[in-house]
Amino acid sequence: MSTALAGVRGGGPMTGTAPLLRASFRHDGRMFAPWILIATALSASSMIYPYIFNTEQERQAFAAAIGANPAIGLIFGPAFDLTTTDGFNAWRSLALGGFLAALGAILMLTRATRAQEDSGQAELLASGVMGRSARLASAVAMCLVAELLLGLCAWLVTIALGGGAANTALLAATMTATGWMFTGIAAVTAQIGSEARTSNSLAVGALGTLFLARGVAYSLDAPAWMIWLNPLAWMTETKPNYQNTWWPLLLAVALTVALLAAASALQARREFGAGAIAPKPGPARGADRSTWRLAVRINKGMMITWAVAFAVIGVVFGYMATSVIDIFADNPTVQTILAAGATSSEDLVSAFLVTLLSLVGILAAIPGVQTLVKVRSEEMADRVEPIMATSSSRPRYYASHTILALLAPSLYLLIAGTLIASLASSADIGVRFGDALLQAVATIPAAWTVVAVSVAVVGARPLVTLAAWVGVLASFGLTLLGHTFNLPDWALAISPYWHIPNVAATNPDWTGLGWISLATLGLLAIGFTGFRRRDLAV
Amino acid sequence: MVAFSAGLFDLPRLVGPDEDVLASIPQVGIRWGAGSPGGHSCAHPEVAMSAETVIEVHGLTKSFGRFQALRGVDLAVGRGTVHGFLGPNGAGKSTTIRVLLGLLRGDEGSVRVLGADPWADVVALHRRLAYVPGDVSLWPGMTGGEAIDLLGTLRGGLDEARRAELVERFELDPTKRGRQYSKGNRQKVAIVAALASNVELLILDEPTSGLDPLMERVFQEVIGEAKANGASVLLSSHIMAEVESLADRLSIIRDGRIVQEGTLAELRGQTRTTIHAELSVVPPGEVLVGLHDVHVDGSRLRATVDSLRIGEAMAALTPLGITSLTVEPPSLESLFLRLYDEDAADPGTGR
Repeated sequence: MSTALAGVRGGGPMTGTAPLLRASFRHDGRMFAPWILIATALSASSMIYPYIFNTEQERQAFAAAIGANPAIGLIFGPAFDLTTTDGFNAWRSLALGGFLAALGAILMLTRATRAQEDSGQAELLASGVMGRSARLASAVAMCLVAELLLGLCAWLVTIALGGGAANTALLAATMTATGWMFTGIAAVTAQIGSEARTSNSLAVGALGTLFLARGVAYSLDAPAWMIWLNPLAWMTETKPNYQNTWWPLLLAVALTVALLAAASALQARREFGAGAIAPKPGPARGADRSTWRLAVRINKGMMITWAVAFAVIGVVFGYMATSVIDIFADNPTVQTILAAGATSSEDLVSAFLVTLLSLVGILAAIPGVQTLVKVRSEEMADRVEPIMATSSSRPRYYASHTILALLAPSLYLLIAGTLIASLASSADIGVRFGDALLQAVATIPAAWTVVAVSVAVVGARPLVTLAAWVGVLASFGLTLLGHTFNLPDWALAISPYWHIPNVAATNPDWTGLGWISLATLGLLAIGFTGFRRRDLAV
Repeated sequence: MVAFSAGLFDLPRLVGPDEDVLASIPQVGIRWGAGSPGGHSCAHPEVAMSAETVIEVHGLTKSFGRFQALRGVDLAVGRGTVHGFLGPNGAGKSTTIRVLLGLLRGDEGSVRVLGADPWADVVALHRRLAYVPGDVSLWPGMTGGEAIDLLGTLRGGLDEARRAELVERFELDPTKRGRQYSKGNRQKVAIVAALASNVELLILDEPTSGLDPLMERVFQEVIGEAKANGASVLLSSHIMAEVESLADRLSIIRDGRIVQEGTLAELRGQTRTTIHAELSVVPPGEVLVGLHDVHVDGSRLRATVDSLRIGEAMAALTPLGITSLTVEPPSLESLFLRLYDEDAADPGTGR
């Protein structure tokens, strides 16, 4: 953004960018630090690969296990080479690292543009000596620099711990490039949505769709156009450590420039505080007259979006399940295992289904946690205070949101589970509809435990609202990354999803679900006691 | 009310001659009035009779971490009265009100609202009171009309006729979304929601911030009507004029402590009236006994006089041949400013 800075003295649309950028870095910059930390940790932690899998046989067995479960490929993308540490890191960190970088860019850009406008801070700034484009320019500049730092940090720490300089540089560059592209996407959605939440949802929705599309494309050997239409797949095509192709990064830079130009054009045309979608007058009388109806009302938009998303996930995952036998057939390592009689095709299919539905379950817990985090943001926006000044009690208010937060994931799991079950049972892969659906139902208590963590945090320790996401992060990390660390069972058992029985097994063990449900009850009790006892809005 | 008219400074009578309603709350004037037989001129909350107070706070403290927001607040609001709660920004007004609403829990001291504990008896208590925050934040996608209905129903029911009337009088468009309203209009939504249910106690935290002068007048009328109907009001504000025209009694809070408490007349009694006079004779020194801060410029005289001794001052000045006279009545503003000055002069009380 040096061009933006060059215009500072002239009094043009960019006037005021430099001082604003300095102020933004001081205030919003540190909010980005966790993203740098997580992305760096993800890449750097791959360096323990040689200590966990130290023989050739172990690495081959690991590669076979990965190949045998296409659900893992959905998240991580294809494994080109798992025989070296750099190859392992490229497989493990490329998709997830890019995802983290993109999410960080979206949240930071929206906060520095749209959310500021919503809160009125931007009005203070806009009335100062500042060009019309200065706020967008400074937010974009901040994101681009922050993403560069993310890549640099991940690169330096990883090579310090033994990563190959060139291989890791390309991997880190894909993270930065992904962050840049989504800075562009968020800059566009910030002009389209009429408030911060809409802008965020649009950009995160785009990220989720492209991420899922990439996973499916590589899992199913999709046609080349599906890869070249997807900017996230360009990053996979660099194949760090395997082929080290640099030129797809140029595509990413070109796309970033195009998106930023579009955002700048849109921003010049719209009025302050307005979006492209103008609000219409609403009803003069209200039908929502209870805390429950209020909870539903303020979460409705998000819930509908997620319901559609889970229907899509259900169809995509279900479609993938139908071709799981073909995927196995294409994998020579899996064929060797099957031929040796170490496992049966049915076992692999049902293990795949358990992982697939656990994945859906982890995703389904996210909207639940969002609902609880929203309780806190409503509180801080002084919208809980007038409710609590009426005769509704605190437990009732909290219960309304908690019940919604528990019901929503159940509903999503049922939506996606029904679709997966009906598609999987329609194909000749030995999956019965009832079993697959029951597997989805068995996943619900685990999602509840994750949501209950956020109930406890928002109720009892609201100052650390970020901790509400601990359940999601831990489940995701342990379920997906746990095996790459070769973690012992007791550590894996921290994730509630580890306790879900395989319902297709001869004697499924249901006691694990009992234990995690006890934990759920304990966490709910902590949350409700805390919410009843604590000061509000401090 | 009887007591006030006996005092030097009459209150603007917003209530009107609705004597029946006033008669139904007879204790007010007698107990709180300055000139009443049994009344203390500076009734300490301890002597207040709980049956007639709707809010009773003794020695309330509240800290946030190391910051002490309240350092021993005493407050008593009589039934059927409008009690002004004045103080500069950050003095502890909102914190006190949040404790009264059970949103915060006080550290020490006792708090009774309508005879109940605001922390423990939230639900029953809140059916009988309504609250208008100073900084109203509405749900962005919900219309003002929907917000009024939600808040009113949660409180235990709306008076439909009253709701319609208030929407009309405040010229509120109830079909706009929360994010489209200006600050003043958001404030109107909260005021309508609070006043559309018939409650015993109104707790208003700087309720007119953002209202234009016309709407401020409507607000004052509406509060007057609520009082005439027997409601008690705690009105926090930093706008003197508003409190002067509405409040029967006042508490002034500064740095988490109540520094002044009394009727408007009592507090005004502690302030001085400013006199500008043009005299035909240059005033001799001995006439000026009883006058303070005297400035003489030729035949022009500027001085202040204790509000209760204006008569004497006039008697002393009349022989000197007054050709022009301006008397500035003591305002709360001057009292307020004096408290500020004391604060500045005595940094020991500062934070």
